Amino acid sequence: MSRLPVWKPEGNVPESLHLPQEQTLPVMLTRRDEALGWFESKLSGALGWARANSLFQYPFVTACCGMEYMSVMAGRYDLARFGAEFPRFTPRQADLLMIVGTINVKQSPVLKRVYDQMCEPKWVMAFGVCASSGGFYDNYATLQGADRIIPVDVYVPGCPPRPEQVLDGLKILQEKIQSQRHQAHSVERAPDAPELEKKKTSFLGKLLAR
Amino acid sequence: MAQALIDLLRETHPDAVVSSHSHKGDEVAVVRREKLQEVCRFLKEDPRADLKLLAQIAAVDLLTYSTESTGGAALASIEVPAYDLARKPAVEPRFQVAYNLGSVARKHRLRLRVELRSDDLKLPSVTGIWRTADWWERYVYDMFGVEFVGHPNLTRIMLYPEFVGFPLRKDYPVRKRQLLIPELDFPDLVRGPGPGPGGAGVPMSQTHVGRKNVDPTTYD
Repeated sequence: MSRLPVWKPEGNVPESLHLPQEQTLPVMLTRRDEALGWFESKLSGALGWARANSLFQYPFVTACCGMEYMSVMAGRYDLARFGAEFPRFTPRQADLLMIVGTINVKQSPVLKRVYDQMCEPKWVMAFGVCASSGGFYDNYATLQGADRIIPVDVYVPGCPPRPEQVLDGLKILQEKIQSQRHQAHSVERAPDAPELEKKKTSFLGKLLAR
Repeated sequence: MAQALIDLLRETHPDAVVSSHSHKGDEVAVVRREKLQEVCRFLKEDPRADLKLLAQIAAVDLLTYSTESTGGAALASIEVPAYDLARKPAVEPRFQVAYNLGSVARKHRLRLRVELRSDDLKLPSVTGIWRTADWWERYVYDMFGVEFVGHPNLTRIMLYPEFVGFPLRKDYPVRKRQLLIPELDFPDLVRGPGPGPGGAGVPMSQTHVGRKNVDPTTYD
């Protein structure tokens, strides 16, 4: 699973300078918490495995990178080998939004709307330099990277990227999805409806009646 | 090749042609704005000219043409305009609008050019002569702000209606952005400081075009 070194969000701090997690958080472990933690880790692994290997994509193809996208999907490179089988042409059925090509300022409300229509959990891949940073279109009409308006999980550079790069980006994204941790007693925060806070527990929390 | 066309034009409309020259096989006739429609209609309908094809209408902004070593192009990495506009002498007439005409049957072509002062950016529309001029004139209006008097629907053709200014004019700030929805709030690490969003103290959230009747947080 740790095939590639993933950039750590806190930067490349050497291990010796890390604060031990146990000393920063007051933790009181009971047998029940231990069991729950074991259950959480197993369930997270299973959920991550299922989600990482059944990514339905929504191709938001706007430019020449679309040719390379077709190449990735077609026989020789075949993204389906890695679990990203189906392009779904409605955002409501998709997990992965692939932004393939240049995003204009005029187009950006449409992209934002497509992203908002996707169901959670959802991930975003910026395919090529134009979607990542605007590329060489540093002008009045072009959005300087899709991450200006929606959060992006993985950036695939290249103009256009080679299919191998896209496969690599997909593997990195799968690694991220696989390593996500699901908590049994997490509460979904709704800032405008605090009275719902106790009702909206996760699936596993309901299962364990917590 | 089309020197005969210019001779014909000078013969029939002696007061319309200001000057004419030939550049690398392309004949150019500079005509007066007041005579443009008359000249265009003559060139289309006269069987000796037969210029039934309007291939393009293009405009040029000469603001920095003679002063910049780049031939007038601004460098993309430099801030709002790369030159100090106040110190440069005003170039007048600042704009040129070119009409590229062609004849498929007679296999010749001609370019008409009109010079425009920046304080009077108006041209008579030729949509009544060539129907394709409709979109070309909207294009020139969109990019340079030239007003075509008599055009049936002179609105922006490529940019969105919220856009302010004319982007291909040389005094339009090179890195100015006019976004339609607010940007996420994060520093621009790639582009660095500059007048663009995220640089030089411009918050990302203040970089979109304000719409009058639409809540910017909803997009439906």
